[in-house]
Amino acid sequence: MAPSLAVLAVVTLLPSLYLLVTSFTPLNLTRPETQWDFSQPLISYGQLLQDERLANSVWVQVKLSFWTVTLQLLIGVALALLLNVKSKLLEALRTVFLIPMVLPPIVVAIIWKVIYTPDISPMHQALAAMGWNVPALITDPQWALTSIIIADTWEWFPFTMLMVLAALQMLPQELLDAAKVDGASPWQLTRHVTLPFIQGVLLVAGLFRLIDSIKAFPLIYILTDGGPGSLTEVTNYYSFQQAFNFSYLGFSSAITVVLLAATILLSWIIIRSVGWGTKID
Amino acid sequence: MTSRGARLSMNVFAAVLAVLALSPFLWLLVMSFKTNAEIFRFPPRLFFPVTFDNYAALWETDFRTSFANSLVVSVSSTVVSLAIGVPAAYALSRWTGSGGAAITLWILASRMAPPIAFTIPYFLAYRYLELLDTLTGLVVIYLTFNLSLVIWMMRPFYDQLPRSLEEAAWIDGATRWQGFTRIILPLSGPGLAATAILCFLFAWNDFFFALILTRTEAMTAPVAVVNFMNYEGWEWGRIAAGGTMIMLPVLVFSFVVRRYLVSGLTGGAIKG
Repeated sequence: MAPSLAVLAVVTLLPSLYLLVTSFTPLNLTRPETQWDFSQPLISYGQLLQDERLANSVWVQVKLSFWTVTLQLLIGVALALLLNVKSKLLEALRTVFLIPMVLPPIVVAIIWKVIYTPDISPMHQALAAMGWNVPALITDPQWALTSIIIADTWEWFPFTMLMVLAALQMLPQELLDAAKVDGASPWQLTRHVTLPFIQGVLLVAGLFRLIDSIKAFPLIYILTDGGPGSLTEVTNYYSFQQAFNFSYLGFSSAITVVLLAATILLSWIIIRSVGWGTKID
Repeated sequence: MTSRGARLSMNVFAAVLAVLALSPFLWLLVMSFKTNAEIFRFPPRLFFPVTFDNYAALWETDFRTSFANSLVVSVSSTVVSLAIGVPAAYALSRWTGSGGAAITLWILASRMAPPIAFTIPYFLAYRYLELLDTLTGLVVIYLTFNLSLVIWMMRPFYDQLPRSLEEAAWIDGATRWQGFTRIILPLSGPGLAATAILCFLFAWNDFFFALILTRTEAMTAPVAVVNFMNYEGWEWGRIAAGGTMIMLPVLVFSFVVRRYLVSGLTGGAIKG
């Protein structure tokens, strides 16, 4: 059995180590001699602190993560509460609502490219018919990030919905009955019984979405390419640009090491909040 | 109990909401069956002459090869990940030593890591190993997320199987490996099937790794469809047809494993 774990180590730990090593070099693909140049190991990390475009990308990331996670949690909870009723139709709809999440991310990006391209967009045409001339949202500085947030929220609200639904199935009926006997209104039931019961799940769902939001790529690549300017350029995207458009792999590795560290930290928080690793049986 | 009327209106409301929420997706689906003139027509007609030209035209291009590449890579990745991951999951489930939390963190972080974290080192290594633009290269890098996924899905499953099962086999003289292949593996059926499908889907859905690590030979369908966007004059019909073809297997398979989606995505953080 040990060999299989060794394979996992070779495919994940070894490359991570290589990433870390590369981050200590000023590797530029157009200058091969830079690959093993460790004369100034921290030069890339020094640049990180001074790079305004990187600082901007972190701020864009914060805005994107905050809004998408918040909206996905709100919509997910609302939908789960709506759908958590025994009814054939609603049970079927639960499956239907999952579609955006299981679609290949690239297809989601194409779907929204269509919606956001004025020539062929049903949304733009409808708005124009009503006399509103809306600019092309993904090239409009005021709307570009919002349009990404909308598309991302659409893609991932099913995830929070699914997790909340799973949690609601475990809500003991006695708890609700007892509150009802005490004369609680439906709103009070939700506010004081249901929500406290699912808050642990909400935390985990939010953390998962938060980590995933750091990886946001296909939507940005297809819809805005980080633009206009760098208004939708999140850190992950900036790192991709540095590595594979400008060939600055050393610098990009340094950015990515920081991203990876953030991922590990957030994963650790998930593990702590779920209590894995402390075996129950 | 809510009254019948309230119940009915709730059902209607939910159904309307579902149609609204899915309309962007339905639009793309419908678009793939439209002629170019019909795509630009406003107001759109509900009933329009259905055409399969987009699909036919698409199939004439290299998209065909890319689609086949996607199939080969996804199936290979699934097989390899299961072959390596299932024994690993079982071993970890029976792990009694310390460091359980660290291993859990390792596996979760591998699943959640931004793809670029693996892409940079793999890209550099593949230049020397001559694995750039090869299907093998993709299968190997897909192990980063699929191997973790298998362990993630199967470990809780094996946690639930009592140890007495394989211990009985050992007493009868079976080796550890025999205990696993003859006793444990046959019991893993349903979980294994769901895991296999999820592996396939994650490999099939990948865009980033294939974008960076392939050029022409090993290009997968998601990358190929994006290439249609770079041509002069957007070929919307073909793009829609390509998108539809890519999502078709995903929709079918997801429906089959919908019960396992929660644990597949969160690793049993929440039991679905």
